[in-house]
Amino acid sequence: MIRIEKVSFGYGEEKNTLHDFSLLIPSGKCILLCGESGCGKTTVTKLINGLIPHFTENSTLKGDVVVEGVRVPEAELYVLAKHIGSVFQNPKSQFFNLDTDSELAFGLENEGMAPELMKDRLAATVESLQIQKLMHRNIFSLSGGEKQTLAFASVYAMNPAVFVLDEPTANLDEAAIGRLREQIALLKQQGHTVVIGEHRLYFLAGLIDRAIYIKDGFLNQVFTGEEFWKLPDKVRAHMGLRSLVPTELHLPEVRRASDDLYVKGLVVEGLTCGYRKQPAVFDNLSFTAVPGEVLAITGPNGTGKTTLTRTLCGLLKEQSGKILLDGRLLSVKERRRESFLVMQDVNHQLFYDSVWNECEQAAGTQDGAIEAVLQSFDLLSFKDRHPMALSGGQKQRLAAATAVLSGKRLLIFDEPTSGLDYRHMMEVSAMVRRMAAEGHIVLVVSHDKEFMRCTCDRVLRI
Amino acid sequence: MGAEKNRRVSMDPRSGLFLLIMANVVAFTQDSLKMELGWIGLLILLFLLCGCISAGIKYGLVFLAVLAIQWYVLPVSPKIIATSFSIFANYARRMFPCLMVGHLMVKTISLRRFIVGMRKLHVPQKLMIPISVTLRYFPAIREEAGHIRDAMRLRNIRGMEMMEAMIVPLMISASETAEELSAAAVTRGIENPAPKTSVIRLHMGPLDWICIVLSIAFAAAAVIM
Amino acid sequence: MSNSTNGKMLKGKDLITIGIFSAIYFVINFIFMLLSGFHPMIWILMPAFIALFSGIPFMLMCAKVQKPGAVLLMGAITALIYFVTGQFTVIILATFVIACALGEIVRSATKYNSFRGNAIAFVCFSLGMTGSPLPIWLMRERFLAQISEQGMPADYIEVLEAVSSPGMLIVLFVAPIIGAIIGAFITKSMFKKHFSKAGIV
Repeated sequence: MIRIEKVSFGYGEEKNTLHDFSLLIPSGKCILLCGESGCGKTTVTKLINGLIPHFTENSTLKGDVVVEGVRVPEAELYVLAKHIGSVFQNPKSQFFNLDTDSELAFGLENEGMAPELMKDRLAATVESLQIQKLMHRNIFSLSGGEKQTLAFASVYAMNPAVFVLDEPTANLDEAAIGRLREQIALLKQQGHTVVIGEHRLYFLAGLIDRAIYIKDGFLNQVFTGEEFWKLPDKVRAHMGLRSLVPTELHLPEVRRASDDLYVKGLVVEGLTCGYRKQPAVFDNLSFTAVPGEVLAITGPNGTGKTTLTRTLCGLLKEQSGKILLDGRLLSVKERRRESFLVMQDVNHQLFYDSVWNECEQAAGTQDGAIEAVLQSFDLLSFKDRHPMALSGGQKQRLAAATAVLSGKRLLIFDEPTSGLDYRHMMEVSAMVRRMAAEGHIVLVVSHDKEFMRCTCDRVLRI
Repeated sequence: MGAEKNRRVSMDPRSGLFLLIMANVVAFTQDSLKMELGWIGLLILLFLLCGCISAGIKYGLVFLAVLAIQWYVLPVSPKIIATSFSIFANYARRMFPCLMVGHLMVKTISLRRFIVGMRKLHVPQKLMIPISVTLRYFPAIREEAGHIRDAMRLRNIRGMEMMEAMIVPLMISASETAEELSAAAVTRGIENPAPKTSVIRLHMGPLDWICIVLSIAFAAAAVIM
Repeated sequence: MSNSTNGKMLKGKDLITIGIFSAIYFVINFIFMLLSGFHPMIWILMPAFIALFSGIPFMLMCAKVQKPGAVLLMGAITALIYFVTGQFTVIILATFVIACALGEIVRSATKYNSFRGNAIAFVCFSLGMTGSPLPIWLMRERFLAQISEQGMPADYIEVLEAVSSPGMLIVLFVAPIIGAIIGAFITKSMFKKHFSKAGIV
């Protein structure tokens, strides 16, 4: 059982992230924490698993948190770990080891469990979650979804009474989200208490006992599972929440390469790409993308979306086939000049010490345009700020601004909406559509059907 | 390192470390060519026994090449080359056995077994945790650097600017990973002061004891002679 | 459990932070170490080159872990990786322990939160890598005996004698100090330019 009583919490001198928050979660229930970005749901998950206050500096905590009879602020984290298991959102940075077997046993080794018991528990975990294919492997060879499954399994092996999941689907594709749903269903069946903070809601239908809507650090509303899923679409959009039902994507197919290779836009013909010493990732791919249209590129992981985008950007040489822009065949170098990739982790592509300097490098000789471009991206008031001090959305816009200033024709966005709430997803959608309207050729790689439906004109399924 | 390798025979990490220490002693004190050849020959035999046949042969050939360079090539080389390389060749020759033992350990002992071995030797947790993280972060550095390099190419950042440009994203990413990895580790009990256990069982086999005895013999002989 | 300062004991987060920045330090260190095989002079100056370029991970770690033991661990990790892979002798363990002990004393005296204190600790720490070329002097007689056996002409031997002379030993220890001081200045400007503004310090 989880009892949060009149908790107020804040970092340093900033405004409190939680105000007078009280919540009682009976054992065995599955609870959803939802709300807009920054509403405080992550803070609540941290209250439960003890990261607040043990992991935070310069913070003030008032009120009481008791989980499974243990007062969280007073217990050691490693004691709490036996009762509360936590799964986080970034698969890349959750694993401690280099091989999967060690990672699975990590929690049990820390507990000091006897080796015979450990062996049985590990075997039971592998069986229960059906993860035989993940065993005896190098973690770096796992896909994002497999890594998240391993992270979950590592916690599952410890068999805590309570599971806390903080936006676990942020970086997952549909298949992986489906697997996560099964895992949560299994937890429910076994009587664990599950608390999930999430933006993506559709996959939880039928699993949730209560939905807690948090707004500005206050507990705003409590719904039963049924009530929540009956919310009318307008209401849930007003609440800033993502779709409650799976989105169907009915976009027209991508334009195929016509006989006319001199069409204005990007023409890909017979493209085969792969890496050295390995079989081709995809074969004989042909399509056309024109300026003014947003093309979605979607498909299960591992089928070549990344390879395609890297090839289009000139970061990878094609094995065979042609890539033409406005009728002109592009070499690898020329592709790099004409295209830009806004990466999933924008932190990799911001280098300078101020927004203005970042744009100056991108604009080169065209620096007269910087002010206007920054204004159009709503970044002009931040021109002296260090890029790394911006919010995620602002960084994304800055990366796009550098692309515009470098005069790039082809813009590719890689998973621009992972982990975004409804409002921010719509803002990204507006930005992407504006790029297309201004004459760029825009490609978007995404799993986010809700986003693709309101942003994209055509879809290429790989 | 990847999963457990299927070796015919494998060394215990503890005897591996002991061998390394003895190799260090021999490196500092030995003077006789016969002993040197005997020692290296023995190590090559160890390589073969542990299944690293091609590596063992390569090391043998490289050692002969180093000897040849020292005896035949350098004395008749132009001064610049001779002075440049003879100190290094001498150092390489002395360190050769250490390098061989190190290579053998890296290739035949998985990181998982190595860590269990270190725990058995009562290496403190406060050292084990950072070392594990360091080793685990090397491949991540490569991945991150790859993405950053791609981004730099797209922005046409070249030459000396690349060095400064690389730093900020790399450090930001390191800071974030430190935060996230710590959260995932402490919520799985890494700070537990109780001794950590493992399903891996280590035991010293006949090969280990033979290595230990022979290496003591060589080290003693090197010191005495 | 206080949440303002977790005392002076290294906790899980500190240890992991130390591990990550040590990895970055090691990569920088290793790159220069590889280059030093080309000429003994480069090898002798190698600790200085490393000191020039490795200030950032060191100082960032110091900023994040304001407790005793961080410097010692970064040094221990570096030395152990080099030792266990057989690239350097046990001497490097000794030089790093001494260098790090000095660094820790300095940090303790400057209360762990002064950039200047951490920079001085960095100078001490950078002396750790001198353990790599140091065997040249420790095994000098053996080395000179061996090369004259090989049949090297006398004037070569003279040059090699000069390279491994006591004068060079002084260069070995002074160069990293200079390198580290310059490296600390470079790091300070990077901190001002980037890391403070980005909010990670």
